[in-house]
Amino acid sequence: MARAKGADAAGRISIPIDRRALGRLVLGFLGGLVLWLVFSAPYERVIAAAAEAALRTFESPAVTSLKASGGEILVDRADFPPSSPRPGLPAADLHFNFVLLCALFAMTPRPFSPGNFGRFWAAAALLAVVHVAALILQVESVYATQLGPWSQAHYGPVARNLWAGAFHFYLIAGRFAAPFVLWWGLGRIADSRR
Amino acid sequence: MKDEAKTRGRRRSLGFLARFLALLVVFYFLVAWGPVNDAVIVPFTGAIARVSSLVLSVLGEGTHVEGTEIRSDRFAVNIENGCNGVETALLFGSAVLAFPAPWKRRLAGLALGLVAIQIINLVRVVSLFWIGVHKPSLFSSSHTVLWQSVVVLCGVLLFLLWATWGTGKRVAAVERHGAGKGR
Repeated sequence: MARAKGADAAGRISIPIDRRALGRLVLGFLGGLVLWLVFSAPYERVIAAAAEAALRTFESPAVTSLKASGGEILVDRADFPPSSPRPGLPAADLHFNFVLLCALFAMTPRPFSPGNFGRFWAAAALLAVVHVAALILQVESVYATQLGPWSQAHYGPVARNLWAGAFHFYLIAGRFAAPFVLWWGLGRIADSRR
Repeated sequence: MKDEAKTRGRRRSLGFLARFLALLVVFYFLVAWGPVNDAVIVPFTGAIARVSSLVLSVLGEGTHVEGTEIRSDRFAVNIENGCNGVETALLFGSAVLAFPAPWKRRLAGLALGLVAIQIINLVRVVSLFWIGVHKPSLFSSSHTVLWQSVVVLCGVLLFLLWATWGTGKRVAAVERHGAGKGR
């Protein structure tokens, strides 16, 4: 199994995977799960604040407010009637893929080496950007499709399909692909530069 | 020489990523398209529900199926997109087809991998139903975090195992050939 990471002698893609790598993957998964469980609540507050800021930047007037509470992101708008219910979006669906990222980066032979550790946190930061983008898509998807006559009045058919389709893509494929792409891009390709 | 191989490897890796993402988008549009969803995905999900119900009945849970829903006197679960293994199959299929390998090997990998993913998904559905009946407080976290992550990780691992399959022998042969030349 001794071969250059990322490319073998003939320039082909090669992937070091053995029993030890599988063991590290399981440990990485469990470690990631613990981190995720401990930091989920504060993390949700951070991504809610970031998504709110981004949404308000492009709103006129800026009316959206997002609050993380009890595993949900509560969506509110200053122009909603006070008596109408506020949609609550399940937050775990957005960001549990952090656990996958931990497991994949842990597979590396020296997971705690400064290089791998740095690349892992760079990937985690990019994943956080993905989470904020996904939350924006989810809020816009709710605005565009789930608020009855209000949605019809404010979003045309193209916009409705675009927002709903983009968030559906994240739910079905994007959230699982993101950790894999970040691991492959930052972890494996960057590793092969050394 | 070594640097050249690394550069080639990096280029192949980036090419793989670009092809993977393009295929993922294409396959997503295919399975999300209404006619395909109605004619293929929904009946396929119904078949998963029936097989899972069969296994659960063997385990003594006394279940029956209505469409894509598995029901018993104590619990019911509806298998939706995201729980039918299709999302992992999309990832796995895109990765295998994007990876530089002979078509014969790709097709063999696809056939074996997709069957393996469905077997793992069957274990997920059966165990989630069992958790729903016997440990309902654990159902939500098991469903959202644990099993989704496990099935996707299994898909990634299957891809890595497939991609590595035969590489060791090939590299050894390259090294032997190189050593022979050097003598």
